[in-house]
Amino acid sequence: MQPSSITLVVRSLCHRCCGKENDSSAGKSLSQPLHYQYVGVQRMQPRDARVIIMLMIGRIRLWMIAASMVSLAALGAVSWLSYRSTRELIAANQRLAQAHKLTEDLAGLHVLLDEAEASCRDYALSGRTESLNPYEAALAQLDMSVQALRHDLAANPNRFQQLQELEPVIQARLEVMRELVLARTAGGFDGAVRMLQSDRGKRLTDEMRQRIAVMQTDEHNDLLERERESRERARSTILAVGVTCLLGIALLLAALLVIFRLNRQSENDHVALQNAEQIQRAILNSAAYSMISTDTSGLILTVNAAAEKWLQYRSAELTGSSISKLHDASELHSRGVQLTRALGRPVAGDYHALVPKAGEGTADQFECTYVRRDGTRFPVSLSVTALRTGGSNLSGYLVIATDLSEKHAIEKMKDEFVSVVSHELRTPLTSIKGALGLLVGGITGPLPPKAAEMAQVALNNSDRLSRLVDDILDLQRIESGRLTMDKRPNDVAALMRESAESLRLVADSEDVTIALSPCEAWITADRERIVQAFVNLLGNAIKFSPRGGRIEFAAEPAGRNVLFRIEDNGRGIPRDKLETIFERFQQVDASDAREKGGTGLGLAIVRSIVQQHDGRAWVDSELGKGSKFYVQLPLPETDSTAAERR
Amino acid sequence: MPRTLLVIDDDRDIRLVAQTSLELVGGFHVIVADSGHRGLAFANEVRPDAILLDLMMPDLDGRKTLDELKRMPKTASIPVIMLTAKVQAHQLDLMCHGAAGVLVKPFDPMQLPNQVCEILGWGPSKNDEEQSDRAAE
Repeated sequence: MQPSSITLVVRSLCHRCCGKENDSSAGKSLSQPLHYQYVGVQRMQPRDARVIIMLMIGRIRLWMIAASMVSLAALGAVSWLSYRSTRELIAANQRLAQAHKLTEDLAGLHVLLDEAEASCRDYALSGRTESLNPYEAALAQLDMSVQALRHDLAANPNRFQQLQELEPVIQARLEVMRELVLARTAGGFDGAVRMLQSDRGKRLTDEMRQRIAVMQTDEHNDLLERERESRERARSTILAVGVTCLLGIALLLAALLVIFRLNRQSENDHVALQNAEQIQRAILNSAAYSMISTDTSGLILTVNAAAEKWLQYRSAELTGSSISKLHDASELHSRGVQLTRALGRPVAGDYHALVPKAGEGTADQFECTYVRRDGTRFPVSLSVTALRTGGSNLSGYLVIATDLSEKHAIEKMKDEFVSVVSHELRTPLTSIKGALGLLVGGITGPLPPKAAEMAQVALNNSDRLSRLVDDILDLQRIESGRLTMDKRPNDVAALMRESAESLRLVADSEDVTIALSPCEAWITADRERIVQAFVNLLGNAIKFSPRGGRIEFAAEPAGRNVLFRIEDNGRGIPRDKLETIFERFQQVDASDAREKGGTGLGLAIVRSIVQQHDGRAWVDSELGKGSKFYVQLPLPETDSTAAERR
Repeated sequence: MPRTLLVIDDDRDIRLVAQTSLELVGGFHVIVADSGHRGLAFANEVRPDAILLDLMMPDLDGRKTLDELKRMPKTASIPVIMLTAKVQAHQLDLMCHGAAGVLVKPFDPMQLPNQVCEILGWGPSKNDEEQSDRAAE
């Protein structure tokens, strides 16, 4: 597992284990019971504690809110129905009371009229004036009764209309009564008899009684209808309230059931989460990486067991200290200067120099030096990751370190090995080549023709062996990154001329022309190595060009790069070998190594050198027509291109 | 009188090839030493015109031998050419500070005398005029 693939999340579930939020300044060792919950091998992120709890809480809340809303709605509906029914019952009762009162008032009116009529008849028969007392009392009350009826029936148009129609009959009947009284007073008993015999009063009385009876009957019918409606409303209200209550209870039970199930699921997840946390904690504490978490100001919050062991500090001694305490101060300062230049904004030479890229969301991995408690130092590879609360707010950093001491020791051993091999192989080669050279050169005296031929064969192959040793050592050094590239500004045209010139004699001997087409540009490169790459490419082009052939060595700007092209009109390369030809010991034809004297490493060295210069190399070719080898190298970054890149 | 060259190398075969090349191809007078200590003694005693010094040797290596040669008044002015297996040029600069130049192994015995003369600015080897010039000096 790569360090960069680990994510540490702190302060995620503290409330579950201790019931309170953590104090970020109170760091603890991973070997102690932690309130911080480490959740975060990245492939487990979908089950991240925070996410799970948030989801659970969210689902429970959703159900509770839904159940509450439905219950509230049901309660509101019941309340509204009850209110409406109560109002209707009150209104019905009022109307009932009004109806009863109207019936009583009509009956009272009827009684008053009967009393008035009886009083008038009594006066007409007896002639005693005191007999008129009930009549006069009835007259006095009659107006009040009619007024009261008018007022009560104002809201009942039908009854009011009937009352209006009744009033003239009443007035007419009262008029007949007054005429009877006047007839008795003026005409005596006979006058009264004549008046009574006219039958007018009886007809009016019958009509009046009939109208009052109609009104009473209509009102009674209305009363019955209202009572029926009221009963129906009361019944439907009871039904609605009952149904709503049942619905509310059902919903409440459903919500409780869901909450119960979610709680049970949450408990299961909690157990699974605790298991995962234990596993992760075990992984963190048994990891061969130092893991240190800090807050946003670089103060250490937690350290794992490896960090304690490597740095010779106990967790409590580091907690609350700046992480820069563990670093070489001058190294932090240098990195601050370097980042200031690279990022185009000031970066302080303290813990800030460790985190700016991580803070911007860029994965940052670099080598630096850790300082132990006793002051001794060791190289580490640091991977810094920003920790974010809720995925957005920066809450701190996780610094994972890999100890490079062993790696550096191995690299040193490899360097020494390469150096020894270089010496031990070249020493006998020097003697062999030297002795053969002297023999072939005739310095030691003339050789018989066959012996001279054999000596030449031996010399050629010792040359080839020497080149092979050189190429193997070069390639090993370049690819291991131990070959320091001495990069300086170089004129493109000068590099091309130097490369071509070093092969001029070979090209002349093969009758091959090298045509240069340089461009005006400078690149930052290790002159010796770039020339080596070009010489390898030109040497190949010469080897595979026919006599009288022409090689074009051109360069042209290509965006932020310079594109070099070495084009020959040789035999070309099969399409299936265009890529593999850059691999070690890969040649188009196995016999090339013997016939052309190649080692099979030249193009591998070219690609390695070019890649060490942040460039790339490739080839286009057509069988029988020739090959075009391309090398693309970056132009130096100007202020404007640097700003653009940023 | 031909110029005298001192070749210091712990490998007998290389000493032989270098001596043969420098004597027969270049026309130099060559004396050889098989260690740094013996080379210092010969240089102090003979005071050759130039020294070819192998970089990697047991006991007293080329770097220390060069320092010693430059420290001793009698040998301090003698130009020294380092002989070494191929390494990077800027590393050679660091290792051979104080040397007149560097020759990389394996060398071509037919070209070795000319390379020595080129480094030391002596002109072509076996050149009579040069030899007479040297005699005049």
